[in-house]
Amino acid sequence: MLDQEIKISFPLYKIIYSVFSVVILSIIRGITMTNEIGIAMEAPLAMLAAVFCADTYVQEITSRRAEVQRLCPMKKRILSIAKRMAVQEIFLFLLAAAGYGLFIFFQRPMRFYEMQEGGSGEIHAFLIYLAAIAVTLVFWGMLSHTVSCVFGNVWAGIGTSLILWIVTDSSIGERYLGAWNLFSYTFRKEGMDMSWICGKMLCIFLVMMMAVLLPKLLSHCRK
Amino acid sequence: MSIIINDLTVTYKNKVTAIDHASLEIPQGVFGLLGENGAGKTTLMRVLTTILAPTGGEVSVNGIRYCEKNFEEIQKRIGYLPQEIDLYPGLTVQECLEYMGDLAGVPKIECRNRIRYYLERTGLTAHRKKKMRQLSGGMKRRAGLIQALLNDPEILIVDEPTTGLDPEERIRIRNLLVDFSEGRTVLFSTHVVEDLAATCSRLAVMKKGRFLFSGRMKELLKEAEGCVWICETCDENTARDLEKKYRISSKQFVDGGLQMRIIFWEEGGCLPPSHFLLSMLLARPFRDGQL
Repeated sequence: MLDQEIKISFPLYKIIYSVFSVVILSIIRGITMTNEIGIAMEAPLAMLAAVFCADTYVQEITSRRAEVQRLCPMKKRILSIAKRMAVQEIFLFLLAAAGYGLFIFFQRPMRFYEMQEGGSGEIHAFLIYLAAIAVTLVFWGMLSHTVSCVFGNVWAGIGTSLILWIVTDSSIGERYLGAWNLFSYTFRKEGMDMSWICGKMLCIFLVMMMAVLLPKLLSHCRK
Repeated sequence: MSIIINDLTVTYKNKVTAIDHASLEIPQGVFGLLGENGAGKTTLMRVLTTILAPTGGEVSVNGIRYCEKNFEEIQKRIGYLPQEIDLYPGLTVQECLEYMGDLAGVPKIECRNRIRYYLERTGLTAHRKKKMRQLSGGMKRRAGLIQALLNDPEILIVDEPTTGLDPEERIRIRNLLVDFSEGRTVLFSTHVVEDLAATCSRLAVMKKGRFLFSGRMKELLKEAEGCVWICETCDENTARDLEKKYRISSKQFVDGGLQMRIIFWEEGGCLPPSHFLLSMLLARPFRDGQL
């Protein structure tokens, strides 16, 4: 049933706005070095994931299909949501990878990592970017989806994500949360310091918590 | 497979009591639920499908009590068509039904066979490759009914399934429900009396969250006997006065005069109550526990 899940989660408008967002971002957000690509991409992609995934299950509530689905086995319902989340996150992940390339294509930045003495190289930095961005996308997508389910409204999910996004992607967030910031990758210090991983570990932990809560949420969220 | 409702009460957060200490036994076969808009039919159905938790009272299906630990056991026996449901607009009818069947845990081959059968029975075979968004309201309603039947439920709960259907489709759906009801319970809610008269062995009438009547259609008609009068007049003022004073079910010009059918609550009327008239009779002022 993956085919159907893809069709349900990917209406044309979603593909268009997400692709356009990344293309426009890669053109208008100025960078000079390759190490700035991750900084330029992480926060906008987080918000894109929040908007993209907000309706994953809420569409079932607003269309009243949830009333019928309540009669279906919980395992099947969770599997269905997991598949939808997975296909959406994979799409955003591929978009993030393509976005990295688009920044290089449009802006021709200087190769920061190759210029560093004993630097780890551009490929290595790109792989780290992919890992960090994957965690970011999953976290923000899941957060928005969960809050939307609680309130039965996509705007609740998007709004909550936006508030948290503004707080954490700011100098206040950087000052008070430090390495535990949800955008720790954006605020990382270049070099061997890998303490930003703490922030990403926190994201993974929160995602796991939300996944555990999902069955409870499905049996109670109603319109 | 019978459903027993005992002293059921549902009060919403805004203090509106949708079901008020209602008791009813729903036996096997097609059971009709009749009542005007806002009578509490949909609320009752939502309770029976475990969507809504009652504020008070008890419900049981074949002796299984409605409580959190029994929900899974009850839910797998039920098929449900809500009053309004918007099936996946981007999927074709076939895809949509296969998806719903898979979600309900119906094995793939069995699901396809059932879809083929019900598409044929509901006259949707020719439209199976159309996207849901391209279907008319009546077609969507029929596809909605098919999804409720896919898991071969022991209890089928359908909320106004004939809404938006043309007469031919209506008959088709009614016949399908009657055929399906063999050895099962079908709870059929509507405010169209003709639908119930054509399908139901028994029915209940709801008003303001209470059951006014429960029994056979014949008994319901008997209860309404003597309430329909016929009157002919040539005088416009008399006609206007009658309209003000009584509920008029129909008007017709005959031989220069106006013939009116009047619903009058006192006994002694000259016409037997028809199914159509019944719906008007049921709209009479509610006296506690009485039709």
